[in-house]
Amino acid sequence: MNASELSDAQKSGIGQRIENWILGLAKKVTDPSYRKQFIWSFASIVLALLVSSLIMLIAGYDPGLAYVYLAIGAFSRMDLVLYYATPLILTGLSVALAFKCGLFNIGAEGQLYIGSMAAALMGYLIALPIVIHPLACLAIGAIAGGLWGFVPGLLKAYRGAHEVVTTMMLSYTAILLTGWLVSSNGPFWDGSMVPRTPPLLDTALLPPLWGYSLHTGLILSIIAVFAVDFLINRTVLGYEMRAVGLNPDAAEYGGINSKRNIAIAMGLSGGLSGLAGSEEIMGTYGKFVANWSPGLGWDGITVAVLGNNSPWGVLAAAIFFGGLRAGGNTMHQVVGVPIEMVSVIQGLVVLFVAAPRIINWLVDNGNTIFKSMKEDPFEPSINLVSSILGLAILMLGLGMITSLYSLPSFTWINAATALVYVLVAILGVMIFIVYWSKRPDAGWFMLLAAVLWTIAGVLEIIGAGMSALTSFILAIFTFVLWLADRLIGRLLVTKKEDDIE
Amino acid sequence: MSSQYAVEMINIHKTFPGGVYANQGVTLKVKRGEVHGLLGENGAGKTTLMNILYGLLNRDKGEIIINGEHVEFESPTDAISKGIGMVHQHFKLIPPLTVVENVVLGSEPIFGRTFGRGIIGKIMRALMPIDIKMAVEKIIQIAEENGLHIDPYAKVQDLSVGLQQRIEIIKTLYRKADILILDEPTSVLTPQEVDELFETLKEFRKAGKTIILITHKLRETMALCDRITVLRDGKLIGTVERDNTSPEDLAQMMVGRPVVFMVDKGISSPGDVVLKVQDLHVKDYRGLESVKGISFEVKAGEIFGVAGVEGNGQTELVEAITGLRKPTDGVIIIDEVDVTSKSPRFVREVGMSHIPEDRQKMGLILAFTIKENLILGRHYRPPFANGPKNMLLNLDRINEISDDLVSKFSIKTSSSDAFAETLSGGNQQKVVVARELAVAPKLIVAAQPTRGLDVGATEFIRNTLIKMRNAGSAILLVSAELDEVRNLSDRIGVIYDGKIVAIRGPDATPEELGLLMAGHVQGVD
Repeated sequence: MNASELSDAQKSGIGQRIENWILGLAKKVTDPSYRKQFIWSFASIVLALLVSSLIMLIAGYDPGLAYVYLAIGAFSRMDLVLYYATPLILTGLSVALAFKCGLFNIGAEGQLYIGSMAAALMGYLIALPIVIHPLACLAIGAIAGGLWGFVPGLLKAYRGAHEVVTTMMLSYTAILLTGWLVSSNGPFWDGSMVPRTPPLLDTALLPPLWGYSLHTGLILSIIAVFAVDFLINRTVLGYEMRAVGLNPDAAEYGGINSKRNIAIAMGLSGGLSGLAGSEEIMGTYGKFVANWSPGLGWDGITVAVLGNNSPWGVLAAAIFFGGLRAGGNTMHQVVGVPIEMVSVIQGLVVLFVAAPRIINWLVDNGNTIFKSMKEDPFEPSINLVSSILGLAILMLGLGMITSLYSLPSFTWINAATALVYVLVAILGVMIFIVYWSKRPDAGWFMLLAAVLWTIAGVLEIIGAGMSALTSFILAIFTFVLWLADRLIGRLLVTKKEDDIE
Repeated sequence: MSSQYAVEMINIHKTFPGGVYANQGVTLKVKRGEVHGLLGENGAGKTTLMNILYGLLNRDKGEIIINGEHVEFESPTDAISKGIGMVHQHFKLIPPLTVVENVVLGSEPIFGRTFGRGIIGKIMRALMPIDIKMAVEKIIQIAEENGLHIDPYAKVQDLSVGLQQRIEIIKTLYRKADILILDEPTSVLTPQEVDELFETLKEFRKAGKTIILITHKLRETMALCDRITVLRDGKLIGTVERDNTSPEDLAQMMVGRPVVFMVDKGISSPGDVVLKVQDLHVKDYRGLESVKGISFEVKAGEIFGVAGVEGNGQTELVEAITGLRKPTDGVIIIDEVDVTSKSPRFVREVGMSHIPEDRQKMGLILAFTIKENLILGRHYRPPFANGPKNMLLNLDRINEISDDLVSKFSIKTSSSDAFAETLSGGNQQKVVVARELAVAPKLIVAAQPTRGLDVGATEFIRNTLIKMRNAGSAILLVSAELDEVRNLSDRIGVIYDGKIVAIRGPDATPEELGLLMAGHVQGVD
């Protein structure tokens, strides 16, 4: 009876804990600052897709179709998405963990190479039984990567060498060193045409999990998310690291040895990157090949930024980027958009996340426009329509340039027309900016656009282009909007004067 | 210009993101040519109101009328063009630049014509050389007219705090301000410098300038202001004439209840020596010796006050005792343990607690929750840590103990999970004090423990310190506020230029201590 009571108590204890955990999670999700972060990330993604679609327009691709196939590709091949995400989770965690301690580990790539090299050597030089062998490889890979991060950590803590410089330099060192080790002059070359090691023993490989490429490394990566979350939030070490990262003076005042914490954080960060490299070698490549990584370490930085340096955010960001890569393949095969477009999107996402003021500016001005719409619909709706027209002008200008490419002969007249369209496109962006921020002198930009469209139309006629009509229509349209702006402005002023009288 | 008021702010509302009301329907009317005191505790909304007037913040509702004219300020530039100048509590100066460079910053006089306000003018203004000579002449003229003597070519970093404030005032005059806002101008000055400042302000009043003085010090308000507006919790309590009120009335308006100024601390019964400092020498961060051979003792159950103008070695003295800075020479002994050049953790383990002078920079991690801040310094050992080798945080115990401290020290917050940066200054300091005093320390090093705090929080913290003294802690109190040192201390050491120049009893007069703080040692002894 006593025993059953005890187990009941235990159960309720565990139940209580799970309940607390869920409550804590719910509280975190509904927290305004968390929600703001989420909106920011989401808006950044949308903006990045918009800007990327402009680039695709210039290059002559159909962005709508491209995005449809990007989405189809991502959702139809979830195994590929997770496969691409697997190493990104770890390198993202690596950068995020260092950042929690106030450090920028730019050298995840190098730590990844050193880790993967160590794991490969363990995998083909030493024979061990199954289960033990992969674990040993992962451990040695993590240790090697960890040491590669620990050194810059020590230099930072005790010699003040800035970690951005040292980790980046050590990155190049690592890539070149491992490249030499497997080259025809190096000790670990397999004798083939390719600079690589002999294949790993079968006992060292990570078994596949689902589909073609996804391997059990994913499980490890997800365990790592839990582990890093636990480390940061539940341990004394994590507490001290965060304290050092947020306020080194207060940490020192509180008796925390910031040097020790900096070195350890860099070591752990390197270890996670090393683990990422080992996983890839053992799960995908089966051997170490020189320059094998497609920039997984560098991408870790972007993953950490998008994930706001929180372990769960990193997991989500890594899966998102995995989706981009998996969908990018489909987009490339079906629509013909180069696979590099994915990197462009990725870069733009990080740009917008890192520059929250852009999104703040958009949201704040949008709010004021819609708010003042209720009181007095004339002026704000002119602003709104003109802003949208600005974006339309940008799109059309870019589209016109691509239509000029397709002409049979490209004369100097056409070149001049293209130049005018470039100006028009730039003007489109400016129109959006001045109307969205409700600048009083915005009308002049609209008038200038009307003039430019007219010039473009004339040039089209001279150069026998096909879009003269479109240009003239737009010239008229912009002119009318400018007129309306002026006219309504005048009317409002007189109306106000009447009111006062 | 028909209005008799220079500034009218009518029914001003301001809410900060997160729903904090800074101003709720505040109306402030300042007559032309008067010194108007804006009085209130910290967090009452004084600075917010003035930042709205100066164009630094937008208001949610309300009207601003300057000299009878309705105005809309989008930035301080607009306010400056209407003749408003503001001297901030924390000076906005660039130390390596000269006085004249700092004064002209943002409105540099250039050779030749002005090129208009358009984009071309902007570019030309950025490219043309600065007419420094003209600026210098103008500054000298301003200085002579107002008795604000200063060397225009001196570098700001070589000047005293009082002179730096003078530069800020010249800056506003250079921009032709006739409405001056001064935010807590005396908090960094010596008593003598305060007197000088008051003389200057009285001159300004004679010259017809309007002055708004933000302060929470009653003595200043009564000495200088013609009329006084009191704010509490973002609301207007009232505007009174100086001649129709008293410090007690004002204090009651500020706090909402009667306040006792003198702390009744009882007689101390000193025990054994807890802190012993012998011939201590410490260098500051620039490598200059700023503590030049200090020796003193603090006994259990005694408050030893260190009075002095800031920058005379107090900071380095405190850092050396608490383990944050290694002394170059000398011995520090706490409770018979030699702690010279030991780590902060070692010194804390011996039984030292430290209330640092800058709570935001050192005492707290603002991005941490209150809970996390309450365990800083003891987070690594039970009851806050558990598990193998005390590696894990014991969240349950942390919750219990921090909730207990929050209620015991009446820290005003929605929950102990709130971030420290959401607290007001007084409550932030309460978090620091709660954490440091919760362990019954043998030695408390309290540096500027009530700086920038309102009357209520100051009272609370002073009483807490006295309670700790009566319970047998040794307390080293370092403060720039003479009243505080005199009120609390059982013995007072005056620090000047890195040395303790005199040790006096608590009955020493402020005049005597003021002279000692200014370095006039011979005259007194």
